[in-house]
Amino acid sequence: MNSISRQEIGKGIYFNTIKDNRFKTMKLSVSIIVPLNEDDASVNALLAGVLTRSTKDYPDFTILSKKLSQLYGANLAGIVRKMGDNQVLTFSISGIDDKYAFEGDVVSQQMSELLCSVLFRPKLNGNAFCEEEINQEKRQLSDMIDSEFNDKRAYANNRFTEFMCQGEPFACSRLGTKEAVEEVTGEDLYTAWKKLLIAGNIEIFFIGESDSENAKNIFEKNFKKNRRTPFLLENSVCGEVKKLKEKREIMELSQSKMIMGFRTSVASPSEDTMAMRVAIALLGGTAHSKLFNNVREKLSLCYYCSARYTRIKGIVHIESGVEKENIEKAKDAILKEIEDMKNGNITDFEIEATKLSMCNDFITICDHTAGLESWYLSQLMDGELDSVEEACRKVNAVTKEQIMEMASKLHFDTIYTLESK
Amino acid sequence: MMDKNINLKEFHSKLTGDKYYKVKHKSGLNIYMYEKEGYNSTYAIFGTRYGSINTCFSANDGEKITVPDGIAHYLEHKLFESEDGDAFTKYARTGANANAYTSFDKTCYLFSTSQNFQESLEILLDFVQSPYFTEETVAKEQGIIGQEIKMYDDSPDWKVLFNLLECLYHNHPVKIDIAGTVESIAKITPQMLYDCYNTFYNLNNMALCVCGKATLDEVLEVADRCLKLCEDVKITNYFEDEPYEIVKDFSEQNLPVAVPLFNMGFKSKREKTSSSKDMAALDVLLSMLFSSTSEIYKELQDKELINQSFNYEVFEGPGFFTIILGGESRNPEEVNSTIKEYIKNLKENGLSIDDYDISKRAVYGDALSALNSVDAIGNNLMESHFTNREFFSYIDEIYKLTFEDIEKKFNEVLDYNNSALSVIR
Repeated sequence: MNSISRQEIGKGIYFNTIKDNRFKTMKLSVSIIVPLNEDDASVNALLAGVLTRSTKDYPDFTILSKKLSQLYGANLAGIVRKMGDNQVLTFSISGIDDKYAFEGDVVSQQMSELLCSVLFRPKLNGNAFCEEEINQEKRQLSDMIDSEFNDKRAYANNRFTEFMCQGEPFACSRLGTKEAVEEVTGEDLYTAWKKLLIAGNIEIFFIGESDSENAKNIFEKNFKKNRRTPFLLENSVCGEVKKLKEKREIMELSQSKMIMGFRTSVASPSEDTMAMRVAIALLGGTAHSKLFNNVREKLSLCYYCSARYTRIKGIVHIESGVEKENIEKAKDAILKEIEDMKNGNITDFEIEATKLSMCNDFITICDHTAGLESWYLSQLMDGELDSVEEACRKVNAVTKEQIMEMASKLHFDTIYTLESK
Repeated sequence: MMDKNINLKEFHSKLTGDKYYKVKHKSGLNIYMYEKEGYNSTYAIFGTRYGSINTCFSANDGEKITVPDGIAHYLEHKLFESEDGDAFTKYARTGANANAYTSFDKTCYLFSTSQNFQESLEILLDFVQSPYFTEETVAKEQGIIGQEIKMYDDSPDWKVLFNLLECLYHNHPVKIDIAGTVESIAKITPQMLYDCYNTFYNLNNMALCVCGKATLDEVLEVADRCLKLCEDVKITNYFEDEPYEIVKDFSEQNLPVAVPLFNMGFKSKREKTSSSKDMAALDVLLSMLFSSTSEIYKELQDKELINQSFNYEVFEGPGFFTIILGGESRNPEEVNSTIKEYIKNLKENGLSIDDYDISKRAVYGDALSALNSVDAIGNNLMESHFTNREFFSYIDEIYKLTFEDIEKKFNEVLDYNNSALSVIR
């Protein structure tokens, strides 16, 4: 099994090496973690696009693309995620391992240098990013925000979170808003870029067989150019509910969507999070969960019906695709399953099956380079660094009593429906 | 220990250092095993050469049978249920993550697992070989599948494709939704399901592909125990003649979308299944013409006509072949005319050899990266089996390609006078 070695190479900058000889490729990524807020979300999201579009060394999109193709179709990406009340910008490059290159080509070092070029040597015009590049990326980002509307399941999820967590940073979209994107200037981007390098919490991952020393040295040298004062990262957790909030939207659809939100006080780094993960998987996280078996299969009420636990915020949501006239019935059926769990109506088989399935998912995900990276990054966000084996041990230690207790900590907070006309 | 008399072949790849085994099992089943050292999970996929387009057929030269649209997908759902409970519940005891899908020309049942591999494989082989259809269970499924059809009706990505296929194909059943319609599935009876099952779920018409931690011995041990000897069935599929020409060149539908979606398709004649060399040449050609390094990509971006969602694919199967380009655009009609003009120009003036060199590297890198994933390998082994291509030959052919191969391929495809545009706005 792979192992991770972690080293602080600057204030709040960690270089994580996962030595692994199983893959045909290597991957290098830099994740920059900053607090999420309305003002910065759009600027940062735009920056993720602009930085990976061109650099000082590769001054336009086509030249940069050609360089990547020449590196055997290396994949350069700038993605934006939301992890609790924080925004995570990940810049990564992945491509084939040196030993598969034609005629002894060396690609790994070129890939590390290219990623540095992206992060540290953008194409600038004085103390601002170039107008032309920005306009193209503004359009891409604003189309990306729009396209979340096309996928009705994603749209419903975003609207639900916005409504349930109003007033918390978590309510913000990871991409910000179209209006805010429009207003960003080249100077704003420059300031935001500097701020990321100075104040972002940084996790670098190197996954592959080649030597990581070289990549580590390049990053260490480049980050040294800035005096760093990293942000203190926080996550607000609210386990209390005063009154059930309800929201309905109507749209031209043939199938309606319903999302039910619950608050709990169990959030990472609490020791109870693993018990909650097991409880929510048992409720609606697998193809043999209570919701799947009873609400979807036995009652034929929903095409999909699943539960998810956002452990960093202590929030649970249950989403379903349902006929409009069945919304009430489906809601009652879902609440009944939770009641059942509280009352201990849980079989040993359900518990065993859930644990097996969770451990299987953990182990399977680590057979992928992207899976390994996201495994360790989300662990770090939880304030832990468990290996897969350790996580499986924690899963298996969860008892039926703990699962019942976790079910009783779910407080129904919000119901959101997107209904057909 | 392994039986010395089994029909076993070993395939090696010089370029990648990988290998796999192929076994023609005595039951009739084709088995592929691709061992992945160091991996902790195994992916297994069991599939039949039977999909949504096979709605008119005969078995062993018997009577020609026509069945309702969507029946292959319906059958997939129903197979999960046996007399002694559903497959998901059985998998729950092993921890495997299971699923199934029906495409135009295949139905596949799969799982991935890091533990209890042999037990999981036993469940897979067992339930796919144990059909159990009654009036009652068949009727029950109509609710759930009806919901699934409705969900797809709301999906702009799905509708934009099927609207395109309706523009391109006069008679070929590829234009019909894989799940059928609420009306067509209402006609399905247990007898029809048995007719389809007995024809297409014959082990000689199927393959099992396994990739990951498991070993060949483990797979064969379960196969010997669980596979029931199968007489080969001669299957004849009937398709109405499909003209070369398209039906109409434009379709438009309104659905709630923020940015309009488009698919454009270039229909070609399909005389035979593409070989590995054809596939390699096509992939490099499309990368040269339409990837982010291409001239047209830059032009369409600069004119703000496309965004990052722009994509392209070869859409191919028995009796159909189309190159599809798609994405989001605020002016799909202009994208359509610009691309057609671009192809026309290149057909007259020729391709660029510089584009060829970098595209070849990029396509090679993609093919190699796919060998990281046990799922991708399993799926591609299945695809290779059903299209009579040797799995490693694709990557070898990329390596061996010449610029002339690409030029030749370009002459065969992308007829700009035989294309259609589908728009959702």
